[in-house]
Amino acid sequence: MSDAAAHAAHPSAVDHFGSATTGKIGMWIFLLSDAMSFVGLLLGYGILRSGSSDWPIPSTKLGIPFTALLTFLLICSSVTMVMAVAAAMENNRKSTCLWLGATILGGLLFLCGQYYEYSGLVHEGITLSQCAGCPPQFASTFFIITGFHGAHVTTGVIYLTVILLQTLSGKYDGKPDRIEIVGLFWHFVDLIWILVFTFVYLV
Amino acid sequence: MASHRKQYMKVFVVLFVLTVLEVGVTYVDVPRTAMVLALVGMALTKAVFVAMYYMHLASERRVLRLVVGIPLLVFPPLYAVVLMTEAAWRLGGLGQ
Repeated sequence: MSDAAAHAAHPSAVDHFGSATTGKIGMWIFLLSDAMSFVGLLLGYGILRSGSSDWPIPSTKLGIPFTALLTFLLICSSVTMVMAVAAAMENNRKSTCLWLGATILGGLLFLCGQYYEYSGLVHEGITLSQCAGCPPQFASTFFIITGFHGAHVTTGVIYLTVILLQTLSGKYDGKPDRIEIVGLFWHFVDLIWILVFTFVYLV
Repeated sequence: MASHRKQYMKVFVVLFVLTVLEVGVTYVDVPRTAMVLALVGMALTKAVFVAMYYMHLASERRVLRLVVGIPLLVFPPLYAVVLMTEAAWRLGGLGQ
């Protein structure tokens, strides 16, 4: 069988998904399933809130300006991430590492901000199981959804750090798709936060 | 790549402006339904921008866009409308 005939008989993933590598398609499928877990949590939140007649307007309990700052921080870290991908495409290892480092810093600052926010809320009597002056479901859904997202940020920071160390050692020279794949995860974390910020804090 | 960087910065400006508008809307005295619709619309616009340009879905094959887009754009809103309406009716929520 000629190469062309073999190609036609067994089209590779590249034929189906254009420039997407197998790793990239794998990450997309993972992100799709991960997105569904967030959908489940947000749906649970929506159902509890719809069924409650004394659900407070979130801005009366949560600090919106501070969280908006955290949102801005995460958007900035998405920009540094795409810059790292662009540098990797140009095979510029030093620049890739610098941008990856900046992205990690953004993630760490976000986590510090989340810790600061949680501390303030607990101090005000809003905990996983109790809420001063509001239904306990308000507090539990808040902590579970933002906590699940925070766990993703933590995972992203660890993942980015591993990729940074491997990039520093030259492992990914000429393989920009590895940087793009970690970028997909990081942008996903940003994308989810955009929705969480709207549904849990603003609406 | 320079043109890519330019596009990344343009998307950043869109995301930044929409975030400022989102926070701003919560301080304006508008009917609640209008506010919720505006906030959800802006959040979905931001999410689509991130997926299309930062996650490069815009430059992928159409089939990948469909594989990712259809499950996320069709089913969650469907479940949300059905289940939240049912909860509001059954439990007497939404300020009733």
